[in-house]
Amino acid sequence: MKRRGRGIACMWYPIGFTVAANASAAVVKVNEDGTATLLTGTVETGQGALTVLGQIAAEELGVATDDVHVVSGDTDTTPMDTGAIASRTTYVTGNAVRLAAEKAKAILFEVAAPLLGVRADQLEARDRKIQVKAFPQRFLPIGEVANHAQLIKGQPAIGSASWNPPTVAMDPETGQGKPFNTYVYATQIAEVDVDDETGEVEVLRIVAAHDCGTAINPMLVEGQVEGGISMGIGFALQEEILFDKTTGRQLNPNLTNYIMPTSLDMPDIEVDIVDSYDPTGPFGAKGVGEPTSVPTAAAILNAIHNAVGVRIMSLPATAEKVLAAIKEKKGRQPKQISAA
Amino acid sequence: MTTKVKTAKKQKSPAMDLPRGMEVNLRLPTVMPPVPYPIETLVPKVRQQTPAVGQRATRPDGRLHGLGQTKYIDDMSFPGMLHAKIKRAGIASARIKSIDTSAAEAMPGVMAVLIGREIPVNSFGPSFQDQPLLADELVFHAGDGVAAVAAVTEQIAIEALEKIKVEYEPLPAIFDPVEAMKEGAHKVHAPNGNVYATKVVKKGDVEAGFAASHRIFEGTFRTQMVEHVPIEPHAAIATWDPNGRVTIYTSLGRITLGRADVARTLKLPINRIRLIGTIVGGNFGGKNEITQEPILALLSRKTGRSVKGVYSREEEFISSTTRHPIIMDYKTGVDKDGRILARKVRLVLDGGAYCSWSETTLGKAAILSAGPYNIENLHVEAYVVYTNKTMTGAMRGFGAPQVCFAYESHMDDIAEGLNIDPLEIRLLNAFGEGSASPTGQVLHSVVVRDTLLKAAERFGWKESR
Repeated sequence: MKRRGRGIACMWYPIGFTVAANASAAVVKVNEDGTATLLTGTVETGQGALTVLGQIAAEELGVATDDVHVVSGDTDTTPMDTGAIASRTTYVTGNAVRLAAEKAKAILFEVAAPLLGVRADQLEARDRKIQVKAFPQRFLPIGEVANHAQLIKGQPAIGSASWNPPTVAMDPETGQGKPFNTYVYATQIAEVDVDDETGEVEVLRIVAAHDCGTAINPMLVEGQVEGGISMGIGFALQEEILFDKTTGRQLNPNLTNYIMPTSLDMPDIEVDIVDSYDPTGPFGAKGVGEPTSVPTAAAILNAIHNAVGVRIMSLPATAEKVLAAIKEKKGRQPKQISAA
Repeated sequence: MTTKVKTAKKQKSPAMDLPRGMEVNLRLPTVMPPVPYPIETLVPKVRQQTPAVGQRATRPDGRLHGLGQTKYIDDMSFPGMLHAKIKRAGIASARIKSIDTSAAEAMPGVMAVLIGREIPVNSFGPSFQDQPLLADELVFHAGDGVAAVAAVTEQIAIEALEKIKVEYEPLPAIFDPVEAMKEGAHKVHAPNGNVYATKVVKKGDVEAGFAASHRIFEGTFRTQMVEHVPIEPHAAIATWDPNGRVTIYTSLGRITLGRADVARTLKLPINRIRLIGTIVGGNFGGKNEITQEPILALLSRKTGRSVKGVYSREEEFISSTTRHPIIMDYKTGVDKDGRILARKVRLVLDGGAYCSWSETTLGKAAILSAGPYNIENLHVEAYVVYTNKTMTGAMRGFGAPQVCFAYESHMDDIAEGLNIDPLEIRLLNAFGEGSASPTGQVLHSVVVRDTLLKAAERFGWKESR
């Protein structure tokens, strides 16, 4: 018989390296027509990081996402970057990108100020315009300013910057210190059906509420959450590298015997991005990559416990393991013998 | 020998299974029909909007993915390019007595063979440089490479691996991390002990906390080894040009560190090396350090040709990093209301044969193992241990999914024992703005309670009770 259960798990997760420096640098070049090119040493690993970095540069320059072309991943042409690791790209590389764009923008302001008859600090960049704060009627298109900067003033709008999260080393005896600059938080709740005759677990639904600071691109955040959950389901229920105990060789190094969840195993996923703003991140953003797969297994295992009353102490909770636990529990329960 | 190569090619041909006469057609290369792209159009509106932050902007590489036009490394080729394959040890712990590559080198189509002793600096690793690119003296796990071949086709390279004869003297091996910690256990990297990093996080007085507790809960949790399983395996193409400059296209996720590692192993100045990170078909932490890049570069130098290497799925499992299995002992003391008064945690991480990113994983696992909860009295000790198994390294979460499974299972057991709702006990203990973390750090922009309440509301936690 299928028994339904629900389980909750929350988590915290840091952004960036543990104490160690993990800097990123970036270069932003505003072209003569007001479009821009961003150079970054990170690599697109499928998560959409380059889109997010482009959006951060665009926001700072007051242009649209499509106005920024991102060049990445070439050690000859792009500045150093610690890379796509530790959920750090939006936060660390994003801060470097924002600072580089800010420097390029400062050149545009300097050029535009005399043309608009105001001081540079009275200007802002919005909607592809350089305009006077609180008097937006007085403006110049950003392309006109960029063109003037490069071709009349001989002062191309190029900015470069780097950023590294500030940390404090941990005491070797007590571990006290500030190993990370910021953390994100999340909760996932899983609903499962457990077949108490076969031990099979089916994940029906996962509700995920995640904090990533400002969501620079909510669609990509949702994508990360869904992908992280699929990894979490494999970790919870199926995936396991097995070793021959005498030779130490792997027994299942292939996708026939190492079972991963497929699209058919995916539950309904409902994602909420919790309101949050971190002043140390670019436009309040933190990160989301890794945390998405952190609480999934815990939530599923708690749901199994809620459904059939057994606590599985080791992952993965395969059908065999769940069934064995159910049988053991039944064996322990006193039988109800009706009075003769 | 030529005949052997031909036989192999025939066996691979799909034409063998087809009726006579049809083979002729199949010899034509498969050519995709021309597809005109709507190049002028289709910049989605959302990419044209300001402000840019907060927009659900589509990815510029999305169209390429959708049209099947993304070029991964295996889609790339250079004139005269060779294909490399690496021979794997298949034995978990051994001394290499001899390697005979002569039969492989004599095969038609084989252009070069490389062994570990030819690599200028045959070691790498982000924390300790304990990993050889190709095992030269000792084998530390069954997935270790022992020799590499570059040949005109991948098939010839695979066949050549069979002709390389390696003589091993088997050595004792250890596979269980707890056994490996014991005195007298076989030392994986002698003379060093098997425990290669430890981490302690201490706060308050746990014993006093336990003494003041209403109830104490204990549990031991274990997790397994898993692989990242990216769709695209580790892949790279290296070209050593006549000016002595090396260009490597690679699926690496962090090219700055990769370039430094390649420079170190090849003993070249950094400015003679160019790494180009292509679009990566999934990383999840598994592509954060070099693997075969210097091997391909040296094969390219030997042959004067570009050399491509693409891991098989099996190599992806046995020779690339995996997630740490962790044995996690938890002991928690609580008061009557479910408030945590003290927690003691002991973690033993199975580090496999090499350190890789284990030190980082150890640190994160230790710091995060208390959970997002206010705990005045805490004692965490964590160890990472060498075993003669596939090395564990960076993987999405760096130890966090493992400890989260433990601390959240443990939390539900405590809630059940005290007859408190699992949501309520978490809300009671969760960090708030300004809470101090286990390392004494004052936390800001803390929204763990908001995520608990939001998820509970969306799920209908209170209604579905």
